[in-house]
Amino acid sequence: MLKDLIIFSTFVKLLLFPTYRSTDFEVHRNWLAITHSLPISKWYYEDRSEWTLDYPPFFAWFEWILSQFAPLADKEMLRVDNLNYTSDATIYFQRATVIISELVLFYALKKYLTTNNMKNKNLLNILAASIFLNPGILIVDHIHFQYNGFLYGIFLLSLAYAKEGNDLMCGIMFAVLLNFKHIFLYLAPAYFVYLLRHYCFQETSIQGTKKFSLKHFFFLGVSVIIIFLLSFGPFIIMGQLGQVLSRLFPFKRGLCHAYWAPNFWALYSAMDRVLIVFAKRLGWTLNESAIGSITRGLVGDVNFALLPQVKANHTFILTLIFQMASLVKLWKRPSYKNFLVSLILNGYSSFLFGWHVHEKAILLVMIPFSLISADNIALFRSYMILAVSGLYSLFPLLFKLTESTIKIVICLLWFILTFMGILSNLNYKRNNIKKYSQSNESKLSYLIKIIENIYMYGFIILQFFTGIVHQIIYKDGKYPFLPLLSTSIYCAFGVIYSWIRLSVIYFLGKDDENQEVNS
Amino acid sequence: MSKSSETVDNNGFIIPNNDQDPVVDSPAERWLNWLGQTNLGKCSTVITLLFGIYVRWNVGLNPYSGQNIPPMYGDYEAQRHWMELTLHVPMNRWYYYDLEWWGLDYPPLTAYVSWICGKIGSMFNPEWFALDVSRGFESEESKLFMRSSVLILEYLIYVPSVIVFVNWWLASKSWQKRRLAVLFILLQPALILIDHGHFQYNSVMLGLTVWSLNCFFYEYDVIGSVAFCLALGFKQMSLYFSPAIFAYLLGKCIKNKPQGFILFVKLGVTVIITFAIMFFPFLDSVEHISQVIIRMFPLNRGLYEDKVANFWCAINIIIKLREMFEIHVLTRISLFATLLAILPSCINLGLNPDKHRLVYCLANSALAFFMFSFQVHEKSILLPALPITLLILDEPFWSSWFNNVALFSMFPLLKKDRLILPYFVIWFMWNWMGSFVQRDVKPVVLRYISWASYLVMAVIHFFDFNIDPPKRYPDLYITNNFAI
Repeated sequence: MLKDLIIFSTFVKLLLFPTYRSTDFEVHRNWLAITHSLPISKWYYEDRSEWTLDYPPFFAWFEWILSQFAPLADKEMLRVDNLNYTSDATIYFQRATVIISELVLFYALKKYLTTNNMKNKNLLNILAASIFLNPGILIVDHIHFQYNGFLYGIFLLSLAYAKEGNDLMCGIMFAVLLNFKHIFLYLAPAYFVYLLRHYCFQETSIQGTKKFSLKHFFFLGVSVIIIFLLSFGPFIIMGQLGQVLSRLFPFKRGLCHAYWAPNFWALYSAMDRVLIVFAKRLGWTLNESAIGSITRGLVGDVNFALLPQVKANHTFILTLIFQMASLVKLWKRPSYKNFLVSLILNGYSSFLFGWHVHEKAILLVMIPFSLISADNIALFRSYMILAVSGLYSLFPLLFKLTESTIKIVICLLWFILTFMGILSNLNYKRNNIKKYSQSNESKLSYLIKIIENIYMYGFIILQFFTGIVHQIIYKDGKYPFLPLLSTSIYCAFGVIYSWIRLSVIYFLGKDDENQEVNS
Repeated sequence: MSKSSETVDNNGFIIPNNDQDPVVDSPAERWLNWLGQTNLGKCSTVITLLFGIYVRWNVGLNPYSGQNIPPMYGDYEAQRHWMELTLHVPMNRWYYYDLEWWGLDYPPLTAYVSWICGKIGSMFNPEWFALDVSRGFESEESKLFMRSSVLILEYLIYVPSVIVFVNWWLASKSWQKRRLAVLFILLQPALILIDHGHFQYNSVMLGLTVWSLNCFFYEYDVIGSVAFCLALGFKQMSLYFSPAIFAYLLGKCIKNKPQGFILFVKLGVTVIITFAIMFFPFLDSVEHISQVIIRMFPLNRGLYEDKVANFWCAINIIIKLREMFEIHVLTRISLFATLLAILPSCINLGLNPDKHRLVYCLANSALAFFMFSFQVHEKSILLPALPITLLILDEPFWSSWFNNVALFSMFPLLKKDRLILPYFVIWFMWNWMGSFVQRDVKPVVLRYISWASYLVMAVIHFFDFNIDPPKRYPDLYITNNFAI
């Protein structure tokens, strides 16, 4: 079955070759050129192209390895000054590297499946396929062009190790991951707490108490440091650490990314705009310079007219606060399940409250969430809302009409297979307790269910509006930001709702209930 | 069927217990079985259709025929030009207007459909079809529109016809077999690549033909003949099918007297009326209608164009027929050869007008025409490919081998359109899904022959990418190997 999956997915991805490429394609071509043609000392200084190297060193090495094979396709892509070079061979080569690198994800999924003792094999296959062929990965990696697939593979590997109890490897894998793409730093607190508590504190013979194990702490610490040294070492020796760090953490960018990730700040901005209208009516004083700044949907510093200004440290603190909340429970009881949910919640907080968040980061939440989406119906419904809002929020990445059919079709296919697949397997198991739960279903939860369903069907209307109606009504291009605005806001509701729901389940659930229903 | 010979599976579908087909463990079958196990059986058709859209759309993103190649561009420009033409030029000049630039050479139904497309397209952007100025017009939006028109027409006409066909043809088999057939037929590489890659509207003609078959299956012979007339009215190439259809209907008429005679009259009248309606605007003068016919059947072009995998081209390598005989002699030779090829199966069908035989005869007659007829295009291989593909589950070995060879024979055309990548991807995907290369056949030696042919194809492809000179001859050999 898995063999079929990988062959089929390869065909699916190969078919996507002629689709739209974003500037990210040129970014990676540039990095291939830089790592291949320039000595290491120049890698983080090269700036002939505007797409400078801003990922950690392991990724640079990855590009270097790929560039060794590039001459087989087209030598010209490796010239640093060959900006925006897109020969057919270049495209084929780069797209092929994405497909091949995703074998890591496949391996990770396979490993995760074998460590999982879920009785329902069907469900496992569905979950694996839903991750491997996640439309988000297809859209972001195979069309828009990035290399997230194999990074999520490493991420899942670390989770697989954690699940089977090999915490040391889990930590090592995460360190490796961090050195590939530092966005995973958002998840570091959860890892830190879990590994510290679970690995470095060992159970003693006295029930319930834990003893700090210096040996484990030492192993973990040294391994992580070694990984970081492998990665940053050359640059430290060359004294370039400062330059590298400044490339990795550019805080000059604005609060909201170009397309307004559906997070809290999007709602905040929207609220600000709404208040402006009221304020004008009521004659309040406004921050005049702010009125025009955020409506064009471009990257830049955002000024708010009425609500308080938001700086980078504000977002940082807010994110930390919300992350801490889930970490407390993790500290008290460091089970794998709590670890996983904390990771997801951490991902949520960083997505919702972070600075300059990309909507692609929703995958950081969605992928680990898929792993527990089939555990019970409540988790499943939260996952459903997240999946729909998250995937839909990726649609603006493919703004051209030519990709519109593709993104809708693959999402539809994925929804049908994943949702109905999981649902039918859940129902199948629940058949004997169905009568019990139906009579106990309160009016409130029934109402919630209806609202959720209406929300999800609302996406069809939203797509209709942003895709067709808006073009017709505002043919001369008035209000160009309106589709993006409505997409962001509508999706933000979904993301925040699923976050709250998951948090409720997590915080209110007793620990023995956290056991998987079907194991 | 007695009750004990059926079971109801957990999807609510009925499975006959006498499903005797040999089990071939192909990925597609595993897929359908898995869908059944996970209680998703009812969604399988929707999933297949959505996936079909996905494949076609992605193929459509590739270049079309003649993209960016002035001065004449290609088939895409021809279709676009017809939309422009039918939109602006008065009807009585359609078949006369500027014949050098892609003059209209299909029957009127194509023209009417083009007119509708042109009308809709102009609502988006009149520039695409502005009279004369828009020659060679190429933009992303217009390409999107044109590709969508092919997709929509296909899903309106061809796809439902296939589903109905399969439901009748495999009614006695399990639902998995039916879904399997739909999957294989709708992912047939050749049609996808030509219609959505090279750019044509063959699926309309093929769809109408399948509709006529469907009508015949349900004994709606009159409607069926209307459908077939429409197919003929869309593209005169469907004449390849006409002997078979004619033999079937004639046979039916002769068999049951006196109802047969009534049927004959009904059919005759219907056909005449249908054609009259379609050709009505062009019947005002003998000269006009003969102009239309000359455009549809250009007999002065010669026996064959160079690169088609049919009998005459193959012979051309050894015997230069074109130099030996004059054109009207060659016409007669080809006519004679074609007739000879179609007669046996048609007579057979006429004497026993059986629905199953009809499809086989369709294949025969189309293939005969392809092999021996006049002025055959390599795209015409799609015509015999249709009935043969419809038989995919009945004759998996022959059907898939033919499809593979047919696709291979079109490779030079696709290569010119820069459709090489989708060609390989869809080809391999289709074959992988059905595990076609491993299918059994008696006598076993045929299997090895097919493998040999695949090997030769691979070798030719390999050389093609490394060596430049024309290699048209080898693919003719392959197709002929098969045919003979």
